[in-house]
Amino acid sequence: MEQLIKDLKLQIKNALNLEELPLEEFDENAPLFGDEGIGLDSIDILEIIVLLEKEYGIRLANPKEGKAIFQSVKTIAEYVQANRKK
Amino acid sequence: MDVEVTGFGIICAIGNDAKAVLSSLKAGKTGISPMHYLQSVHKELPVGEVKLSNEEMKRMLGQDENTVISRTVLMGAIAIRQALEQANLNLKGKRVAVINGTTVAGMDITERFFKQIKDNDALLPLLEKHDCGSSTREMAELAGLKEAQVCTVSTACSSAVNAIILGSEMLKNNETDIVIAGGTEALSLFHLNGFNSLMILDKEQCRPFDKSRAGLNLGEGAAFVVLKASPPTPLRGEGSIVIRGYGNRCDAFHQTASSENGEGAFLAMSDALQMAGLKPEEIHYINAHGTGTPNNDASESAAIRRVFGEKIPPVSSTKGFTGHTTSASGSIETVICILALQHGFLPANLGWKEQDESCITPAPSPLPLLGSAILCNSFGFGGNDSALVIGASHGPSKGEGKHQDAEACVLAEAVINDVEQLGELREFVSAGEARRMSKLMKAATISSMKALQAAGIESPDAIITATAHGMLETSEKFLVDMLENGEETLSPTLFMQSTHNTLSSAIAIRTKCHGYNMTYSQDDESLEWALRDARRLIETDKAKTVLVGCHDEATPTFQEFYRRMGKPVPQEIYSRSIVLGTAKNA
Repeated sequence: MEQLIKDLKLQIKNALNLEELPLEEFDENAPLFGDEGIGLDSIDILEIIVLLEKEYGIRLANPKEGKAIFQSVKTIAEYVQANRKK
Repeated sequence: MDVEVTGFGIICAIGNDAKAVLSSLKAGKTGISPMHYLQSVHKELPVGEVKLSNEEMKRMLGQDENTVISRTVLMGAIAIRQALEQANLNLKGKRVAVINGTTVAGMDITERFFKQIKDNDALLPLLEKHDCGSSTREMAELAGLKEAQVCTVSTACSSAVNAIILGSEMLKNNETDIVIAGGTEALSLFHLNGFNSLMILDKEQCRPFDKSRAGLNLGEGAAFVVLKASPPTPLRGEGSIVIRGYGNRCDAFHQTASSENGEGAFLAMSDALQMAGLKPEEIHYINAHGTGTPNNDASESAAIRRVFGEKIPPVSSTKGFTGHTTSASGSIETVICILALQHGFLPANLGWKEQDESCITPAPSPLPLLGSAILCNSFGFGGNDSALVIGASHGPSKGEGKHQDAEACVLAEAVINDVEQLGELREFVSAGEARRMSKLMKAATISSMKALQAAGIESPDAIITATAHGMLETSEKFLVDMLENGEETLSPTLFMQSTHNTLSSAIAIRTKCHGYNMTYSQDDESLEWALRDARRLIETDKAKTVLVGCHDEATPTFQEFYRRMGKPVPQEIYSRSIVLGTAKNA
């Protein structure tokens, strides 16, 4: 799980061009969306959906069902752990 | 002066000419069906294709089947020929302008040949088929209008209505005698996959304004109108159609989403009504943009409610017939409105079953049209929102002619032509905003903000962009990823920065400018068209300050193509912003 969280942080940082966010400051429990936390938006959700399909073979058809999954890196990791195809 | 429609042509999923379109509209027969002509892996997505192969269209136009011509050009030429035939004008000695709205242009050719062009010099000339400007020129020539001046307007899905608006303005200001205006857009793998990456395509037939709506179906087609200026007469002959009013505004909210209260749409509709001299209750039908996405339909409904209050006239979206024909949708729906006026009916909103509280209630079946004025909405990515009022009779048109005292002059300028200068970006935007921007977007943002700063203006009244090739870096990345890695897992961030109007709308968002917003893509004539538009806005008192930008970039691949063609290699980045105003603001 720890390795998966580490991988996800790097993958998300690269996919979303979060150049100014050092990995050591990327808290897996911090909320990804909204003003308090990382501050991502709806386009970032779509990019993360693409990332999950590319890296883990997970297909999400509806961005709305992603809301619960995309709360934080930790919740994404849990979802990936349970659903990954690769 | 009135702008009168003297002919029109149309080709789309529900028919290859106006007669066929009319009969499908009356019968409630959709043109959306399983994919047949487009060669995509996404067979699960229904589309509104024109039911002709490229070879069949070439034969219709008397062209050799083996000649490489983009589907966008073919459909456009067919629609223009129909329009000219109907108008039956003698063009000899007349100033003729072809104004075309397109974004995809020759992308179908580029998709097919991009990999081969990389190592085959003989195929290099095919690159010329890619751009909007060259496509429009080729289309005009195929339609028999070799001598006409041509111009491409590219504001994503509102392109064709903006082409009609530009043509009307040129006629009102006596810059030309005859205008052929409209739009054309073929389905391409590029934008099908782009819309798919944004997750706004429905796998079922689209259901605009319905509670269960889940996205749009893409379509394709072309439609053009022949316009001329004619002196206002109180009573025209039967069947006479006039462009009575128009509005072009910017939602200035988000690159791909519409604001909750539909500000841009509200302003565009309000402007169109005011120019037509009509009260909301004098509109008898609204042809909505109504794409079928949850966001568009709710936002457009909010805007319609703001303009019309409790008394909303019958509304329908005809996307359930044609699919969303993107850049061509504005003129395709204009022609549908003309057919509605001439035949006294309004088409049904196909697919609607259940009321959504956040939406207006559309007409579920065709209704008789009780009046002679129609509002036609057309909105695009980046909040490029436009509206037309089309009528069967004339009314007093407002805000006409040039004011003698207003003369446009340059207030300030700024140029970015070296990637080293892009470091200045952080003076104007946060790290969070900068992370998604392509080089050209960065350059355009810096030069625009610097020019505005130098002119002492926070938000201009209007924003106009000129770009010969558009967003090359992001488009190329998306294209290469698609060609090399297939049609899955493509980046929505790249796609939403691929349309030519990305720059104008991003600067509008940054400067909170809800005013006129336009993008020209006509080769090296783009800036001339943009400046001409800016001067017209100022001299007709429609704007006091206008930000004009000329922005282009060249990727290494693009530069290599030019080297191989033996042509001067374009600069990596060039962005020039000019603020125009009147001598009084200087």
